Amino acid sequence: MELLERYLQAVEEHLPRRGRKDMLAELRSNLESEIESQEEEIGRDLTETEVAAILEAHGMPVMVASRYGSQHFLIGPTLFPVYWYTLKRSFPLVVLAYAVVQVVGMLLASQNAGDMGHRLGAALGHFPGVALTFWGVMTLGFAAFEYGQGSLFPKMTLPKWSVRNLPSLEAAEGKRYSCANSVADLIVSVLLVVWLLAIPDHPYLLLGPGVKLLHGMPFALTPEWHVFYWQIVGLMIAMVPLKALTLLPSLRHARGWIRLAVSALGVMILVVMVQVRSLFVAVPGTSLTNLSSLEGVNAGIAFGFKIALAFAVVKFGWDLWKEISARQHRQRAHFAAVL
Amino acid sequence: MSYPTQTVSSSAISGEESAGGELFESLRLELRRGCLVLAVLAQLEQEHYGYTLRKSLAEAGLEIEESTLYPLLRRLETQGLLTSEWREEDRRKKRFYRLSPEGARIFRLLLAEWNRINDSITRIVQKER
Repeated sequence: MELLERYLQAVEEHLPRRGRKDMLAELRSNLESEIESQEEEIGRDLTETEVAAILEAHGMPVMVASRYGSQHFLIGPTLFPVYWYTLKRSFPLVVLAYAVVQVVGMLLASQNAGDMGHRLGAALGHFPGVALTFWGVMTLGFAAFEYGQGSLFPKMTLPKWSVRNLPSLEAAEGKRYSCANSVADLIVSVLLVVWLLAIPDHPYLLLGPGVKLLHGMPFALTPEWHVFYWQIVGLMIAMVPLKALTLLPSLRHARGWIRLAVSALGVMILVVMVQVRSLFVAVPGTSLTNLSSLEGVNAGIAFGFKIALAFAVVKFGWDLWKEISARQHRQRAHFAAVL
Repeated sequence: MSYPTQTVSSSAISGEESAGGELFESLRLELRRGCLVLAVLAQLEQEHYGYTLRKSLAEAGLEIEESTLYPLLRRLETQGLLTSEWREEDRRKKRFYRLSPEGARIFRLLLAEWNRINDSITRIVQKER
């Protein structure tokens, strides 16, 4: 019976502490009964191989012991959908919070463009660790809640809901809302504002290595740029809170209109750019040939902005028409449902 | 609706067979899980200890692994559906289980539900044929 003792010892090691002796005594009793029963059947003592076969058929000690555990999952099937939903909805906000903290840190600490690039790389490199920590903390929190449900906390029950409170139908042809896209859009907007604000002190960010060539050129930026630059920065900054508003679930009905407001600001930026009569001016001593080519460059760029403005206005008009159509569609569906 | 009974060359569908086998095994276990509880409750209208209970279930055609049955008995006892006591029999102490009054009530409800499901499945299958 040495094999039986060894088997029971191995099972005991993995049994839950509470009630361990009782479980083991019962297991011993049942296994001994089975061995005795087989011995009675064949009329002799079982060989070691035959006892081993019975114990092996009973199962691997760790697996046998694990079945005595009261809970076999970290997060149960009732709580899991809530856990998964919370994880999906809060992850983009973690990305946003991390991006904002990193950008503010860069602005406060960076001395030059190279340093900023280094910090950006470090921020990206640290993000997987932050994401894993967030996931781990959320999972542990839900696992603790699952474990304590009914004893430490009241058991979770689903809130009352009504089908009438569900969001109204979205226009079939419209783009579906994506929280991740909205967060990415917001982060890009914040980075663009930071980039724009950093350009006056760090022209390298706009022209790259070409900034060295600029010093030898017979042209310079027009003084009007100081006015237009701040108008553009102001409009870009105004876009940020609007894009943040699209993340609020309570404003889901107004998302289309908020996006239109953002598009309108984009059109206004182009309007500002079109108003710039000349982007570059000649420095004293510029030759006639250079003056003539400068005029061409200014005219070409201004024409380009006009075309971009025309496209932006048409796109804005198209989006506005779609939003109005979608609203009418929703109203018709609502009236049809009421009638 | 007809039920698939055609025979196909085993070499031609060996991959499909193994995938189908796994799926069948998973569905079979799911189907058995609830039935085992019902069978154990039914059998424990009379007193049994673990080993004899397993034997009686097997004799009735329902094989169940020891490592599944013994923890199940403890779980049902924790849920208040079984009562147990240690007693000596044949010079060995054994733990005997039987239905508690609550277990007997739940067993009747489950049995009625089982019969309803069984009748429905029988009707559905016969109608389909």
